[in-house]
Amino acid sequence: MTMIAASLPAPRTASSAGPAVRVQDVRKRYGAVQAVDGVSFEVAPGEVFGLLGPNGAGKTTTVEMLEGLRAPDSGQLEVLGIDVARNPDDLKQRVGVTLQTAELYPKLTVVEVLDLFRSFYKRSLPTNQLIEFLDLGERRTAQTRQLSGGQRQRLAVALALVNDPEVIFLDEPTTGLDPAARRSLWDLVQKLQGQGKTILLTTHYMEEAEVLCDRLAIMDHGKILALGTVNELVARRFKDRSVRFDEIAALDDDQLKALPGVESIKHDEGETVLYTQDVPATIGGVLALTESLGVEPGNLGIRRPTLEDLFLDLTGRALRD
Amino acid sequence: MSALIQLSIANIRSFVRDRAALFWTFAFPLIFVVLFGLIFQGGSTSIKLAWVDSDASAGSAALRASFASIKEVVLTDEDQATATDQMKTGKVDAIIEVPHGYGASVAAATAAGGTPTAPANVTVVTDPTQATTGGIVQAVVAGVLGAVNQGGRPPIVTANVTTIQTQNLNIISYLVPSILGMALMQLGVFAAIPLVADREKKILKRLNATPLHRWQLVGSNVVMRLIIGIIQTLIIVAVGTALFGLQVTGSLILLGSLVVLGALAFISLGYVIASFAPTEDAANSMTSVVQFPLMFLSGTFFVIDQMPQPLQVVARFLPLTYLSDALRQVMVNGTAFSPLWFCFAVLIGWTAICFGISSRFFRWQ
Repeated sequence: MTMIAASLPAPRTASSAGPAVRVQDVRKRYGAVQAVDGVSFEVAPGEVFGLLGPNGAGKTTTVEMLEGLRAPDSGQLEVLGIDVARNPDDLKQRVGVTLQTAELYPKLTVVEVLDLFRSFYKRSLPTNQLIEFLDLGERRTAQTRQLSGGQRQRLAVALALVNDPEVIFLDEPTTGLDPAARRSLWDLVQKLQGQGKTILLTTHYMEEAEVLCDRLAIMDHGKILALGTVNELVARRFKDRSVRFDEIAALDDDQLKALPGVESIKHDEGETVLYTQDVPATIGGVLALTESLGVEPGNLGIRRPTLEDLFLDLTGRALRD
Repeated sequence: MSALIQLSIANIRSFVRDRAALFWTFAFPLIFVVLFGLIFQGGSTSIKLAWVDSDASAGSAALRASFASIKEVVLTDEDQATATDQMKTGKVDAIIEVPHGYGASVAAATAAGGTPTAPANVTVVTDPTQATTGGIVQAVVAGVLGAVNQGGRPPIVTANVTTIQTQNLNIISYLVPSILGMALMQLGVFAAIPLVADREKKILKRLNATPLHRWQLVGSNVVMRLIIGIIQTLIIVAVGTALFGLQVTGSLILLGSLVVLGALAFISLGYVIASFAPTEDAANSMTSVVQFPLMFLSGTFFVIDQMPQPLQVVARFLPLTYLSDALRQVMVNGTAFSPLWFCFAVLIGWTAICFGISSRFFRWQ
């Protein structure tokens, strides 16, 4: 699906050099609450970057400062090389935004709202192309209040794409959507990534972060607790992954330690756990070893620490939906 | 510019698709016009005046004939005491007393080279609880005296009430400007509600994330309300003219500029409400709190001169008082208690102050 990219007269090159988004030691306080407390990160062009954290972690405040909707107390914010505080107008021509709430002009139709937003920008994509891209064709003359939650969210994304932006901010794009609508929005994000868009999204869904984000920052209480790819984050905290199977008396630890990748061995309530740096090699080794002994490894499986484990470990509490 | 036009169109579309807003904007004032029009048009309803003539001269007889020639007026000759009794029992709507010496004083004034003497004073007694009727009586009296006083000479006859000089007096002419003023007031004050609703729904915030400028947002809002205000004016005046013989005698340009200025003054007042109302519900109640005193203290339904003194003072500060008054002057083409420039100045002052307050206190998110 390269339709949107193909419609561009010429690729925009202005910001190919530096990061698409740069946040440097940004702070923001509301009364007694330090909403954002010294946050720094960068997003590379074409990357999907996630801010993951519970409600009140400071994700939305961070994104809204990048969108030029709130001024930081201190720190630097740059998008596409533009200083957000100094040139918000330049910035707004080149980014797309969805807010957490997607309600928009309830009495206007899909086409009318799209045309309205197109009039705000120096350059914009054709309405029909946006409608087709977001699969809103059947609802084009429906008033926005008649749309389902998923359709409304797709319209919100369509409005974010009106100016064919280089950077797209999506704040909690799937909150409140049913699983099917969530899936369809994920497809959309991946499609946009395929077109080379830089996307910064916030979410409190682990699965969403794992599926969509190239890299992510875990936020809580206004601070970034960890930053990296999902695998990096998990691997950094929990060094090894593990392979487990029901205990086999005929096997001794020396044999197991000799298997490829194995770092250490644990026996625990009738199961054997092998911590390993190389899961496939270890599993292969286990299978070869047990076959040579004429036994079968019962309930052989991989145990991988998840983002959930990581979050629990970092913050001492679980994320809630 | 295109954004301003598109946003104005979007506002108008949203407005037109909101049936409640349509009703309050167009049907409600029309109902007033039709209702009052029917009340004062019907043969059964007329203004009953008790005529107390303490002069019995040729001049007073001529004045009586002028009153009697008005279709809606029913005159009965009474002495002072009977007239007061009839007034108290509601048999007459008002008393007109012609003082002794009236005829002589008019004759002196109209004689060749007429030396300006102290004008003869006709007393008009109306019932302050019958405010609408009172207003109509005053308009009738003013019309008749205006005819007697024709020309630019010092007045020969004055009434101790406000005078409206007109060649084309018609009872509905008093009411239509009031209703138009009221409609423009509601149109403006109600600007608060969709604005606060848009803020509550984060529509304003979303727009703020686009290159749209705030002046375009405010401008589109004002443009839309002005268009509606002009349509309202056309409808109200058209219905008044077609059904009830309203005659607009003043300058249409002056009328148009008053409508625009009046709408602006109340839109800016609506913005002040929007600046302090945290939610749509709060905006709704604040709008009511603001609009009812305006409606009842600005001479729309109750004539200001007959209100208790403290309320009269309040009325002198209300912009609707001046808008309605100026509309009446322009539409009926008379003079009134304040010259026209002063009405304009008051409306401009209100607009400036209200826009100032709202630009200082309005929150966009």
